Amino acid sequence: MTDAIVSLINAEHGARELAGTVDGGRVLVDADGFAALTGWTLKAEGWCRGEVCVPVRDRTPVAADGRIDVAGFGAALSMPTVVDAEERVVALGERADTRAAVIATGDAPDFELPDLEGRPFRFSSIGRKKKLLLAWASW
Amino acid sequence: MVVAVAFDDSVDAAREWVDAADPRPEYAVLLDREHLLGELYGIVNVPTVVWVDEDDRIVRPPVVAPGDDLFKDFTHIDSNVHHDQLRAWVREGTLPPQSDREHPVVPTEEEQVARVERSVGAHLARVGRRHAAERHFARAAELAPMNWTIRRGTLPLRGEDPFGSPFFAFVAEWEAAGSPGYGSADPNAPR
Repeated sequence: MTDAIVSLINAEHGARELAGTVDGGRVLVDADGFAALTGWTLKAEGWCRGEVCVPVRDRTPVAADGRIDVAGFGAALSMPTVVDAEERVVALGERADTRAAVIATGDAPDFELPDLEGRPFRFSSIGRKKKLLLAWASW
Repeated sequence: MVVAVAFDDSVDAAREWVDAADPRPEYAVLLDREHLLGELYGIVNVPTVVWVDEDDRIVRPPVVAPGDDLFKDFTHIDSNVHHDQLRAWVREGTLPPQSDREHPVVPTEEEQVARVERSVGAHLARVGRRHAAERHFARAAELAPMNWTIRRGTLPLRGEDPFGSPFFAFVAEWEAAGSPGYGSADPNAPR
């Protein structure tokens, strides 16, 4: 078991560094840092994000020293998870049914992204106007 | 109001196109290294547009809509069709008739894992771990073989030409599969 700086990636924040531990093929990360980046905290009720809690029977994903086994977390909540212990990188996505449910509502999800000067731009800041979202790329 | 979101890895890659545009865009041009918009709106190809009304409702789900006819010989999409549809919506509030070819792409579990694999690959490529990145890009392509933002979008990060032979091999694969994905804004285009 080795203490390590681990990069945790998700779509909202990109790659962020966290204190963690590498144990063979397992990667564990600091629970507080994990909560700050993903919103998920282990409480008495189970894994909770905002008002939503998912009961969990098996609490072994959380190690004794307050670290979270990222693959174990992903398996417990059926969330897409990639763990590369060799590179000390972990990444989390969102479940397909969660995304599909949002798409089915027809509501436009809000988001914040930087402009080319690095200034954050929030979609909802446009307010009551018609909006054309254009996804493009240089490639 | 237009919001242009670049599925690119660097400001420089996006800026080259913004600087070359005439007239220069006065609307917001944003950088989306993690393909957050793809995740939130189910976008699998570019250029794609989504129409959102004053109440933040999606009135037109993602469709492919090139801004000009530079690649018309290849796509058979007439860019004027989308421009006319857009003017009618902005001026009169009319939406184009729902085309059979337009349908939202609902993400699968495999596609969701593929997006995560792509983001790990992109991170590793950025920090110079190209060999390690390749494993994740390959896995992403296996899981979401018809997703352009993964198959074509990773080519620059893999050191490949996005107009080179891997791209044309992908297009042949995509066409052989029946050109899956959402349609284009032009109902007369073959795909």
